[in-house]
Amino acid sequence: MSLTVSGVSRSFGGVEAAQDVSLQVDPGRIVGLIGPNGAGKTTLVNLITGVLRIDRGTVSVDGEDVTAKTIVGVARAGVSRTFQNVRLLTDSTVLENVTLGLAQQEHSSFLDCMLGLPAAQRDRRAVRDKAMQILADVGMVEYAHRIASGLAYGHQRRVEIARAIAVKPKYILLDEPVAGMNDVEAGEMIQLFKSFAERGIGILLIEHNMRFVNALCEQIYVLNTGRIIADGTPAEISQSPDVIAAYLGT
Amino acid sequence: MINFFYAYQPLIDFFLLNAGFALSQYIVLRAGVFSIATVGIVSIGAYSAAIVMKSLGLSIWIAAPFSALVGLAVGLLLSVPLARLRGPYQAIATLAFVQIVAAVALYAEPLTGGALGMNDIPKQVSTLGLVFALAFVLYILGSLSRSRIGAIFDALRQDEAVAGSLGISISFHHALAFALSGAIAGLFGALQAGYIYSIEPHQYGFVMLTMTLAAVILGGRRSIWGPVVGAAIMTFLPEIARPLAENRLLLNGLLLVVVIIFLPRGVVDGLIALVRRRRTSAVTWPAESSKEVRT
Ligand SMILES: Nc1ncnc2c1ncn2[C@@H]1O[C@H](COP(=O)(O)OP(=O)(O)OP(=O)(O)O)[C@@H](O)[C@H]1O
Ligand SMILES: [Mg+2]
Repeated sequence: MSLTVSGVSRSFGGVEAAQDVSLQVDPGRIVGLIGPNGAGKTTLVNLITGVLRIDRGTVSVDGEDVTAKTIVGVARAGVSRTFQNVRLLTDSTVLENVTLGLAQQEHSSFLDCMLGLPAAQRDRRAVRDKAMQILADVGMVEYAHRIASGLAYGHQRRVEIARAIAVKPKYILLDEPVAGMNDVEAGEMIQLFKSFAERGIGILLIEHNMRFVNALCEQIYVLNTGRIIADGTPAEISQSPDVIAAYLGT
Repeated sequence: MINFFYAYQPLIDFFLLNAGFALSQYIVLRAGVFSIATVGIVSIGAYSAAIVMKSLGLSIWIAAPFSALVGLAVGLLLSVPLARLRGPYQAIATLAFVQIVAAVALYAEPLTGGALGMNDIPKQVSTLGLVFALAFVLYILGSLSRSRIGAIFDALRQDEAVAGSLGISISFHHALAFALSGAIAGLFGALQAGYIYSIEPHQYGFVMLTMTLAAVILGGRRSIWGPVVGAAIMTFLPEIARPLAENRLLLNGLLLVVVIIFLPRGVVDGLIALVRRRRTSAVTWPAESSKEVRT
């Protein structure tokens, strides 16, 4: 039982954006993925989630091979994500953004929806209630009826996290989730992500803020020019000569 | 009041038909599909209804649902090759479809009457019938709008990769939009055939295509009332502007440009957004600006 990436490679023309990358995220664990700008962190998330095609290697979710699956297929296998450059439905409200994450959990049939039957209406009400709970978890209830594009950047990130968690994922990939947040807000996110892990969700956390990563992760992978150059506990990582070289530039 | 109605009845009927065509165009655009196949399917619906009414002597009560089914099937078939295309490529491919349909109508003379079209189609459609059909379509689209399907269509229009990352099937919902659009187009094609006595290929050409598209752009792509209001403007404005004679088309064009500049979401959706903004006036509200913050 884990999200397992083994030997994944992908090149763009001459650029090897991922070279033989292997890593594992277990349920209920928060695993860090760090590396300098352009290291290939976002590319790896796109490879795992089926946004980009994988040249070599495999990705599996709790034993199910999802290497060749589409975005939708990987999502349905239980992998959710947030985007480095927040992608909310900018024309929709905060609540609508989060209910979208719950749409797959509705049970009413297409006929119920088409004829506006009570089953469809019940579903919508239930989903809205659930979305409000999730918004409460991320501290965004009072913004529920605001248009998403009008929110401050940090608030938009919270909405995106709420939407990603609404799908009840087994694993969630967070691409720099606290970028643009102040220390207080980031502190709240520490509590939030710990609560996700306590619920058994495995988290892959991409982040440049090392204090934040050290506060959450027992295990960290370091990516540089598409390769994993080190992995281990925060203490081990900070001592690794390769990592120091990668960050300081040799 | 009664006199007024009789004087304008044909115009009202044309509005009801145009509203149906616009709703067919609307539902694909709402789901983020840039198909302009509506006119082609309206044509197929009109011809299939005319053929079964004339040669089999069936009534419009059978012909209209039959055409709706034909339209649905055509919409579904179109969705297969179009699933791999996006944006302008979908528009071009469906434009080609409209032209193929027109060519077939022109050359399949034994069936369609060729360039002369089909005449003496029994007139069985009344204003009331059109109102009933439009109300029926609006009821279904309104129910869908309030359900998850409407929410999913709105999401697909704004960012389909995000919808996909939440496990929502993009191809299924696009096919659904095509099927709905096709069924509505087929239905209203049949109603038109059962209303105007005669149909010919050139009716289903560029003029109808721009009319239908402009109705949705003027009215809006989100609320179901957008295309209805848009169709009303496109139908009644030329009448009101009758004194302008040849310059009426100019007025149409001007109106379209003004709306696109000042109410880019269309009249109905634009006004809804304005009202929402009033209600939450304390909120910072940069229009569609989250892109600016993106890194
Ligand atoms: N679709 C693509 N086509 C070509 N090159 C790409 C593509 N996607 C990523 N790359 C390249 O892959 C490399 C890794 O980029 P990526 O965005 O994954 O880095 P990152 O570690 O997320 O950086 P940052 O910390 O700045 O977010 C870069 O050199 C980038 O130019
Ligand atoms: Mg990145």
